[in-house]
Amino acid sequence: MPSIYVHPLPVRIWHWINAFGFVAMIATGVQIRYVGLIDLMSFKTAVVLHNWIGFVLIGNFFIWFLFYLFSDKIKVYHPELSPAKHFRASFRQLKYYGYGIFKGEPNPHHISVYQKFNAMQSMTYQVIMLLLVPLQFYTGVLLWDVKRFSGMIDVLGGVRVVDTIHVLIFIFFTGFIFIHPYLASLGHTRTAHFKAMFTGYEEVEDETSRSPFQ
Amino acid sequence: MAICRSKASMIGTKFHADLVMAAKLALVVLLAVTNLTARAAGNALSELDKQCLSCHSAKELAKKLANGETLTLHVPAQEFAQSVHNMIGCAGCHADVTLNDHPPGKTKAAGTREYTLALTEVCRSCHADKFKLYEGSIHAALLRDGNPIAPVCTDCHRPHAVRAKAARESIADVPCRNCHGSIYDAYAESVHGKARSKPGNTSAPICADCHRAHDVSAAGAGDHVKDACLACHQGALASHQTWLPNAARHFEAVSCPACHAPAAKRKVDLRLYDSVAQQRVAEKAGVPQFESRARSADAKGAGLDAMALQSLLREFNRDGIDNRTTLRGRLEVSTGAEAHQLAAAPQAIQDCTKCHRQGADPFQSVTVSIVGPDGRPLRYGAQQEVLNSMISVDSVGGFYAIGGTRIKLLDMLFALALLSGIAVPAGHLTLNWLFRRYAKKIREQDAATRSTGAEAPK
Repeated sequence: MPSIYVHPLPVRIWHWINAFGFVAMIATGVQIRYVGLIDLMSFKTAVVLHNWIGFVLIGNFFIWFLFYLFSDKIKVYHPELSPAKHFRASFRQLKYYGYGIFKGEPNPHHISVYQKFNAMQSMTYQVIMLLLVPLQFYTGVLLWDVKRFSGMIDVLGGVRVVDTIHVLIFIFFTGFIFIHPYLASLGHTRTAHFKAMFTGYEEVEDETSRSPFQ
Repeated sequence: MAICRSKASMIGTKFHADLVMAAKLALVVLLAVTNLTARAAGNALSELDKQCLSCHSAKELAKKLANGETLTLHVPAQEFAQSVHNMIGCAGCHADVTLNDHPPGKTKAAGTREYTLALTEVCRSCHADKFKLYEGSIHAALLRDGNPIAPVCTDCHRPHAVRAKAARESIADVPCRNCHGSIYDAYAESVHGKARSKPGNTSAPICADCHRAHDVSAAGAGDHVKDACLACHQGALASHQTWLPNAARHFEAVSCPACHAPAAKRKVDLRLYDSVAQQRVAEKAGVPQFESRARSADAKGAGLDAMALQSLLREFNRDGIDNRTTLRGRLEVSTGAEAHQLAAAPQAIQDCTKCHRQGADPFQSVTVSIVGPDGRPLRYGAQQEVLNSMISVDSVGGFYAIGGTRIKLLDMLFALALLSGIAVPAGHLTLNWLFRRYAKKIREQDAATRSTGAEAPK
């Protein structure tokens, strides 16, 4: 099966640091929020780890951001400007995951160097990478030193408002951290997309390629 | 014309009063100089004072006042001789007493309180600076409100035995304990009280070191008590920052005794805060609004719930800038006595989970407060749910303790996200398993079609 290079090294480095970092952030976040229900580590250890890993992830975000800012690969994040076209493609993709995949139909999206995301991924990652992740980092930094950033916190409506935003995004990422690897296992084989995120090369499905369920 | 005459009359009266006051002051100075001359050294009494004390040193000397109270006229001679007021002598304060009319045939004072209040004015003539401080105090505010036991100068300072501040040796001498007995008892058993009671130790704080002596203000109204703590414990923030995340925020939102009085019961006080003036909202004197508004919002009388709290805030923001009045929460101890049960640093609460867990003790009791006209906080009870309700995100925006005051709706959303994260892949895999025979059939049909298609050109 032919393969194409779709995940450059900086993206792979960013991805895996981000993946493990987010798992750690969710684990420590759950421990911080649910003392008494969960006993993975002490509250204080969880807070210290949460802060340190948070700053590592902020630094890591800039690997991703600067790479795409100074590379033509940023085209993978370019939005589809025609809403009708975008939603048609999204619906086709949704239909595939909800129905076609069980029948063994081929994935309607064909990966290329500048179009590695299907319509649903494209929309989701734009929201995640350009809105939710920066907002989570921003609220996290404000909560890291509430006194130092009290001016900005007051503008946003107070520490409870900032925390609520932080927790709502945390809840979204908790769901995402389960769904994302599952969807990644729906390549032409269960492990195809995982391997690609290590090697950088995605095997390109031909006409006869079927869903991983077959 | 009548007005002019009246003004002239008033000016004349004032001039007369000033003249009398000046004469009195001159007399005090004259007597003081005379007495100073009379006392070359030591604690000797002047001849004039000896004459007074020849009668007033008798313990049983007293007189009945108009309201039937007994005013003791006893002056302990030895203590007076050692007091700082020996310098000005009896006539320094009792300038109105003349030998022509002494003892007076008719009692002027209606009662002991009235007598004390009248003599307070004499203190002012020498101690104007201290008196000015006193007039800004909670004690003076209580006096103005007609509180019959609000302390005046002589309630704290025994005028005939007043000693230099440095001469006070025992903490038991502090006059504050006369009214604040339970607080004094807590203090005496605290790390500060025990240190102070050691002979020779004058560095450990006594009441006035934290609360100030004359300009005493309500402890719960401002930051002056915390500032007093930090004035001695200057490295406190730096030392807390070595182990306490968000230490500066803790210093702002948690009172020192909340952790350093480990046996105390804790609670949350949500303070109405003026975000434009950058200070706590104060009740205007003579225009009480807080309690009536709180009662009106709390229709059931069970304490303010989340909706009622929002309604109360709306009332305070009704006439001004939107969101000018906000709430700022503070974790504090329940009573003044508990605030004084300070333990040594190693006994202070360092376990984060005492607060940062659901159902933590400090978040079970909540009040909403405003600064009253006399400087003391006016509080109204709120229900515990205001700290955990999604409705309060806006109104209680200024107070949040991770874990302890977490919002229940977010917990439900988190559980839903967790369940969805597991259920979606599990459901998708199940559907695949259910469709496996159907898919196999299609695959076989596809394979057959492909093979037919492949053979066709031959």
